[in-house]
Amino acid sequence: MAQDIPIEYRKPLAWGEYDPHRREGTQAGMWAWLWQRISALAIIVLLALHLILTYKPVIQFLLLLVVTFHAALGLRVILLDFNLVGVKYQRALIWGLVGLGLLVVTGIWYSIY
Amino acid sequence: MAQASGSVRDIKIFRYDPHLGGSGDFQSYVLEIPDESTTTILDVLLRLLREQDPTLAFRYACRVNMCGSCGLVINGKERLACKTNVSDFPPGRDITLRPLNHFPVIKDLVVDLEPFFRKYEETLSFYEPREEFTEPLQIRPDSKERRDIGREATECIACGCCVSSCTMVHYHEDYAGPAALNRVFTLLADSRDGLFAERLERALASCYHCRTEFNCTEVCPKGISSTRAIKYIQRLALTHFKDKPRPEQPKAVPDTPPVASTDRRTFLRQVGVGLLGAASIMVVGGVAATTAVSPSLVKTSRLWVPVAPLSQIPVGDIATLMMRYDLKNGLYTQEVATPVLVSRTGSQITCFNASCTHLGCIVKWDSQWERFRCACHGGVFDRDGRVLAGPPPRPLDRYRFKVDSDLLLVEVG
Repeated sequence: MAQDIPIEYRKPLAWGEYDPHRREGTQAGMWAWLWQRISALAIIVLLALHLILTYKPVIQFLLLLVVTFHAALGLRVILLDFNLVGVKYQRALIWGLVGLGLLVVTGIWYSIY
Repeated sequence: MAQASGSVRDIKIFRYDPHLGGSGDFQSYVLEIPDESTTTILDVLLRLLREQDPTLAFRYACRVNMCGSCGLVINGKERLACKTNVSDFPPGRDITLRPLNHFPVIKDLVVDLEPFFRKYEETLSFYEPREEFTEPLQIRPDSKERRDIGREATECIACGCCVSSCTMVHYHEDYAGPAALNRVFTLLADSRDGLFAERLERALASCYHCRTEFNCTEVCPKGISSTRAIKYIQRLALTHFKDKPRPEQPKAVPDTPPVASTDRRTFLRQVGVGLLGAASIMVVGGVAATTAVSPSLVKTSRLWVPVAPLSQIPVGDIATLMMRYDLKNGLYTQEVATPVLVSRTGSQITCFNASCTHLGCIVKWDSQWERFRCACHGGVFDRDGRVLAGPPPRPLDRYRFKVDSDLLLVEVG
C-alpha cells in the first residue's frame, strides 16, 4: 500500500522559485539594498570611463548621480545600524536621503557649470 | 451563476506529491466566493479540500492567527492563511499559494520546519537563569531592558514567514535567520539571563549575514522587526567587544583529517565572486595605473615636431609659427597647438618657447620695438630672450631644434 512506498521531501524552494507574484511582493527595503549593489557596479564602470574619457560632462554627471545615490543608501544603513533613526522610518529614509542627494547633485552641478 | 455580491477567483496551489517526487507544480482551481471580505485564504483552502480536492495538504490549527501553523507564500509575500482575506487582493486577481521558502516540502503546502527549530537551538535561544529564584521575578514595565525589548518582540509565534522571506538565509547556510535572532535579542536584553556571553558570540557571527533588506519586518504577521533585533545585537558588540576573551576550548582532535568538501554550486559561486572581484580590481586598478602612475614611471619619449620648411622662415626677423602635435597623457591624448618663436639671423637659428617664464602666458613679438612682450604682467624680453623688464625670473626658454632636408623640427616632450 501507499504506506510502504518511501516518501521523499522536496528540496527547499529557493527564494522566488515558482513564484509568479514575487516581484510585486518585493518591498522598498529590498529594492534599496538591490539598487545599492547595482549602483556599486555602475560606479566601477563609470569611474573607469571617467578616467579614460576625461572632461565629458555626461559621464561626470552620471558618475556624480550614481555615487550620490549609492552614498544616500549607504548612509541609510549606517543610520539604521547605529539606531540614530528608528527602523520604523526605513522607508522614509530611502526617499528622504535619495531626495536630499538629488538636491546636493543639483547644487553641485549648477555651481560647476 | 455569480450572485450580486459573490465573485469567482482563480486559485493556483503548488502541488507536490512525496510519493512521486519531482519538483512539483501549480494546480489551478476555480472557486466561487460569496463574500470576499469575510473569507480568509484558510477558508478557501478548507472549502477546496471539502468540495473539490480531498488530496490537498496544508497545515493549520487555531484559525485566529495565534499558532503560526498556516504560514504560506500568498501572491509573492509570506502571510498567514488565516489572517489574509480574499478581499486583500484586487478583484479578479488570481491567488497563488505556495509553501514557505528555505524549508523542505513534505507535501503540497506543508513544509518541514526542522531547520527553523534547529537554528533556535544552535543560537541558544532558551532562557538560562543567572541564579535560582524561588519567587517570580518582576521586570518593571518602565525599565530600560523592558523598553529595549519592546512590546512586539516577545510575541513571535514561530510561523517561519520571516525566514522564508529572507534572501540571505538562502545564500548563507549557517545564517540563523531572523526568527532565531529575534528570540536571541529578547534574551540578550534580559538582565536575568545567564548565558549572555556565549549567546552573543554565536548570534554575532550570524548577524553579519543580515543585509538590512527589511523583508522579515515587512512580512511578520505579528509586527515584529527582526531587523531591529539584529541591529540591537550588533550594537551590543560595540559595548561588549572588550569583554574577556573566550578561554581557548580544547578542540576535539578528529581521528581522520577533515576532508574539504565543496560542492559544485558552492565552488562555482566562489569562483564567480572571485572573478567579479578580480575584474573590478583590474578595471579600476588598470585605469588608475595607466592614468596616474605610469606617466611618472615611463620616460616620456621626446618628440620631434615639424614646424615649417626653412624656406618659409624669413631671415633677420622673428617668425611666429604654430606647431601641432598629440601629447599622450595616460589614456588621454591631448591635441596641442602652440606657437614657436623662430629667430633667424644669417645662419643662426633660435627657437624660443612662446610661454612667458613668469606664469606661462604667450609672449608676442613687437617688431617695432624689437621686443618680446607678455600681455599678462608686462614682462619684456629682448631679441635674444633676455629679460628687460617685468616679473619674469629667467630668459625665455629655448627649444632644441634640427633641420632635416629643409624642414625645421623642434623637440618637445
